[in-house]
Amino acid sequence: MIDYFSIALTHGLLVLVCLRLLTRADLDRDPAPEEEVPLEAEPEKKAKWRVRRA
Amino acid sequence: MLDLFLTGFVALILLMGLRKPFIWVLAFLYVDIVAPQKISYALLTNVQLSLVVFFLAVVGWLFFDNKQGARVSGRQVLMLLLLIYCYFTTQSADFPVEAADKWSWVWKSLVWAMFLPLALRTQLRIEAAALVMVLSAAALILDGALKTMAGGGGYGTLKLFINDNNGLYEGSTISCVAIAIIPLALWLARDGTIFPANSRTRLFAYGLAFAGLLIPIGTEARTGLLCAGLLAVLMMRAVKYRWLYVGGLALAAVLVQPLLPNSFSNRMGTIQNNQSDQSAATRLAVWKWTINYATEHPFGGGFDAFRGNKLEIITSEDDGFGSNSTKIIDQGRAFHSAYFEMLGEQGWPGLALWLTLQISGLIQLEGVRRRLRKSDAPSDRRYADLALALQQGHFVYLLGAAFVGIAFQPFVYMLIALQIALVQQVRRKTAPVAVAQRRMQVPGEKPLAAHAPAAAN
Repeated sequence: MIDYFSIALTHGLLVLVCLRLLTRADLDRDPAPEEEVPLEAEPEKKAKWRVRRA
Repeated sequence: MLDLFLTGFVALILLMGLRKPFIWVLAFLYVDIVAPQKISYALLTNVQLSLVVFFLAVVGWLFFDNKQGARVSGRQVLMLLLLIYCYFTTQSADFPVEAADKWSWVWKSLVWAMFLPLALRTQLRIEAAALVMVLSAAALILDGALKTMAGGGGYGTLKLFINDNNGLYEGSTISCVAIAIIPLALWLARDGTIFPANSRTRLFAYGLAFAGLLIPIGTEARTGLLCAGLLAVLMMRAVKYRWLYVGGLALAAVLVQPLLPNSFSNRMGTIQNNQSDQSAATRLAVWKWTINYATEHPFGGGFDAFRGNKLEIITSEDDGFGSNSTKIIDQGRAFHSAYFEMLGEQGWPGLALWLTLQISGLIQLEGVRRRLRKSDAPSDRRYADLALALQQGHFVYLLGAAFVGIAFQPFVYMLIALQIALVQQVRRKTAPVAVAQRRMQVPGEKPLAAHAPAAAN
């Protein structure tokens, strides 16, 4: 049972990784500096959510 | 059922490679770490899976991939030299059959580590390789940790999917690797773009880190405990609130103590009291033998040279009434240390090459970290954090390697390849700016403050 769980979880995530990579153009070419994803993406989302709730 | 699932999984990944051949590179990382052909009992065992995927990965890169910016680094040359040197020591090995057996997987591991940085030529590819390595190792780590929690641990008894003592399936090796990848898992959760930072990725990363810490308990490998201790110290360098971190660690240590199995506490006690422990005494005797052997054979005895040793081990135990000494004669004991493995098998030149490969990586990663840590560019900050994570993992490996013969562990060579790819990527990214600066600089004037991480420091 534990074997099945460990394999299912990690292999499911591995499939998801590959599926996500298929749609990413930056897999083969690095983005220009202005196209880079900012590091603080998550806190911004949180801030918006808090504003909406308020 | 499991067989069908694994076969379907491998087939699906290989099919996705038809769209993006780089997926085949990731597929080889997975196959080499998890070895699904060993877990499977019918379908996958009938094909030379490792060879097929290796072939696809290399062909995919050779014929369908852009090689712009790919160049060979000094550490790849070092690995090539080590490979050639090992080839010659294998030809004149003390135990030719056993040496040829080890050579059959060592050369593949080194060739793959030399190839991998050439394919990892974008930021996303480096992240993808790191993520696939962590998730593949996580399959074994989660399995081992959950079994430990369910009470299935014990020295030499914790079974990870299969009864195998090779590669990551060996207790001490997985203990060391499980701790070494914790910083990389945390980096992926914090700076990852494939699975962006959110509560789920953090939960998985923290869960994996916890599972990694459970592996030394499950395998009762003393090496793992030492590695965990070192990582705790190394992480102090990066944490924001050090006193809080130290307090949390102390609290965790106190809370976890009563929950540890007795067999684990007894075995860990032998780290201090190694006089009474045969395993520790054997190690010391083998290491002494190796130094003498290397004096007589400075160019090493080839792979598995330890088979020629004959040891006289004396252990002493104080039973309260006096000290009892026991004399044991042993032979053909393994090196139980990567440093002595290199010294005995490849002699002083081999050890020097191997140490240069390891230490140069630590220095290069430190250089990347210092250069980029204060940069404003998001990718630079990610690279600096990745350099720190890889460096911490490598320090942990180098400590674990003192007690386990893992000088040629393929997973570690993949981590080395990742380090090389990162250093190359940073060089590629900063080189045009540096060249532009040189061209536009007027004598007597300060360099341009463009997007140059070097200038930011």
